[in-house]
Amino acid sequence: MRYLALALLLVGPIACVEVATAPGVCPTFCPSGAIESFDTIFTDIIVRDSSYRGYVQPYQAEAMTAADIPGVIDSRAFLVMNKMFTTTTVRAGDTTTVPVVADSAQLRLTLLRRDTLATNLRLNLYSVPVTADSTATFASLDPYFTSPPVDSVNISAVLARPPVTDTTTRRIWGDSIWTDSAGHVIRQLDSGRVLFIYWHLDTLKAPLVQADSGRLGYGIRVAADSLATVSVGTLDGGSNAFFTWYYHYTVPDTATATPDSVRTGVQPLAPSFDSFVTDRAVTPLDSNLTVGGAPSARTLLRVDLPKFLHDSIDVVRATLILVPVGPVSASPADSFEIRGKPVLTDVGAKSPTSDLLMGRTTIHANSADTVRMELTDLVRNWALDTTQTTSLFLGQVPEAASYTEIRFYSSRSTAFRPALHISYVKRFPFGTP
Amino acid sequence: MTGGRAGGRTGGQAGGRAIASFVAVVLLTAGPAARLPAQDSQFGIRGLGTPGKWESVRARSTGGAFAPFDPFSSLTDAALIDMRRMSGSVTGALSRRTVDIGGTETPLRGTRFPVFVIGGPIGRRLVVGGGFSTYLDRTYGISTSDTIVVRGDTIPVTDAVTSDGAVSDLRVALAARVNRWLTVGGGFHLLTGSTRVVATREFGDTSYRNTTARDQVSYEGEAASVSALLDLTSGLRVSGWFRADSKLRADIRGKTVAENDLPNSYGTALLWRPGAQFALAGSATWRDWTASAPNGHNTFNWTAGAELGSPGTGFRLGARGGQMPFGAGPEAPTEFGVSAGLGKQFSGGRGRIDFGVERLERKGSGLSEHVWTFLLGLTVRP
Repeated sequence: MRYLALALLLVGPIACVEVATAPGVCPTFCPSGAIESFDTIFTDIIVRDSSYRGYVQPYQAEAMTAADIPGVIDSRAFLVMNKMFTTTTVRAGDTTTVPVVADSAQLRLTLLRRDTLATNLRLNLYSVPVTADSTATFASLDPYFTSPPVDSVNISAVLARPPVTDTTTRRIWGDSIWTDSAGHVIRQLDSGRVLFIYWHLDTLKAPLVQADSGRLGYGIRVAADSLATVSVGTLDGGSNAFFTWYYHYTVPDTATATPDSVRTGVQPLAPSFDSFVTDRAVTPLDSNLTVGGAPSARTLLRVDLPKFLHDSIDVVRATLILVPVGPVSASPADSFEIRGKPVLTDVGAKSPTSDLLMGRTTIHANSADTVRMELTDLVRNWALDTTQTTSLFLGQVPEAASYTEIRFYSSRSTAFRPALHISYVKRFPFGTP
Repeated sequence: MTGGRAGGRTGGQAGGRAIASFVAVVLLTAGPAARLPAQDSQFGIRGLGTPGKWESVRARSTGGAFAPFDPFSSLTDAALIDMRRMSGSVTGALSRRTVDIGGTETPLRGTRFPVFVIGGPIGRRLVVGGGFSTYLDRTYGISTSDTIVVRGDTIPVTDAVTSDGAVSDLRVALAARVNRWLTVGGGFHLLTGSTRVVATREFGDTSYRNTTARDQVSYEGEAASVSALLDLTSGLRVSGWFRADSKLRADIRGKTVAENDLPNSYGTALLWRPGAQFALAGSATWRDWTASAPNGHNTFNWTAGAELGSPGTGFRLGARGGQMPFGAGPEAPTEFGVSAGLGKQFSGGRGRIDFGVERLERKGSGLSEHVWTFLLGLTVRP
């Protein structure tokens, strides 16, 4: 008996493993209820929608756009390097200094994005005043950008050459490089999507001027047969330009046992400022909904979710529908993403947002198609939790990094107002035979 | 005398083990009171469920024919009179079911504890008893694949609806011997239980989120039963019974979502024991399920069985047939089964273990089922 009792105790739980599910033959051998799907476009639940501008300035952007598309945009990037010391002491504690003489310099730019279909893509480097800052405008810098360039590199031509792959080059550069006869070097990252452009500048192209505290300003324009647009890395994006001084100074004969000896040095510098200017004036906000641009604009949408969506349904798909006022005039490569971020608490333009449950969609340049953004997870969350703020912010990603912006019709436009397309499943009628 | 004392100690130890075993079985079965489904069936999905079999392993091994006369079956209350001392019995069943739909067979399995009975005399002519049994099994799962049109697109979906639970019958009953040849019994039944239900839709298009609805449906009802045993001769016994059930209320979160009529049932049975080593029995039962659900049918079920050997420890066999209450079409699905089993007493008759096996064939419009059920029963008289 003791074995029987033990066996029952052991076998009981194991034997409870069940297989109870079989293919259903409906309706004959299925429950009387059914899982029913419904689909509704709610055209009037986006309310009190507004746009605001000024969240991110061009000089705060993760990238800066250089583009030259006739009739559309002329966008020019510029950067000002940090100070470079022009004198130095020979020994620690010395009160006298000796002048530093620049031998050459190297500028590295990061091209985060380019149109790979562009042919004869060229980057031109211009000298701009070291005083250029956030107040600089397209017009104020135009004289410098229309002067002869300091240097120029034909990216298409360099990349068309065979890469240099010998072991010495790989040891120095860490990877294969592409180069031209003028000494420009290109390294490819991220499977060729990102380019490092190295410029070797002599003292005419990179003069070490004591009056400017060794600072230098450069402007960048892009040119191509067509589709001339690139995105250049910035300080705020962590992919900023790098400037390296190669210099020497002479040790006076009274200072050391090795008189008139020459010492060399290398000084890397980051920019102190980078930004871009365009020939397109910032358009004022109007009754439509604006997203993007520089300075960046965001749109706040408030959703008046019907009560029945809270109670007895399960949202399986929710799509925000936005009708553009017109196509975004830009190069195809300047297509951009907008994100719909849930608002944590609605205090208007400065409402805090969350990155969780956000929706995203791509705005294609030169297309006036209706824009759809999937917001399923967000609307499901709203339906399940009635304490949630049912608002979201639409914003461009990255913000203020480009001249591109899109305008949608707002709820003031009866025919083209924003809408929410919700597919949902009604609660299963449990309990009825 | 030494042998007697030793035998007494041995008997006492054996009795203690029997009690321990009984407690173990009760612990195993009493915990999931809401999970006491009997033999489920696809025929019960579109209905109130699959009616349980209120039979001990001994009775079920005879096709159910001995249930009206078996104190450890909860079919009739008057049969409790044969419980001469405090006793308890529990039944366990392991079923392997094959569902045949249009030639496609699906194997299913389940483990059940469908009957528990305990009782004892409170006088020379009175026995009180109770326990629980499965009234309606509502454990099932169905899965369907289809396409639906959403947003103008045709999208494949897979739906699954599962229900896990049962309606249990908690019984308190009394049996009284009126005179040498008549025994009457009556009982009050509380129908209670719940099912955990889940409905899931999975979309073939990942743009759509899968949806799952879960709930718990609670059931409640009452019933009363009366029965009588008539000993015509020392070897011939007749049983008759009647049971009236109330409506079955289904509640979800305190709100009644359905109320369905439950059937009245009545039946009669005959037991013939020509000698000490042989017994023969048969029964007939009627239940009116027509008003319970749109696809309900009135049912008639019969049983016939025999027991060879001394009562409670012999070899049993039997057959059953009849109808099932829920099914498509004008005709009720039918059920036919054969069964056999053995019993073995231990601890000087203080305990008994029963084994049984049952084969059921169910047929209805568009569907058939084949069921093997292996039964294990334990009866203890502490």
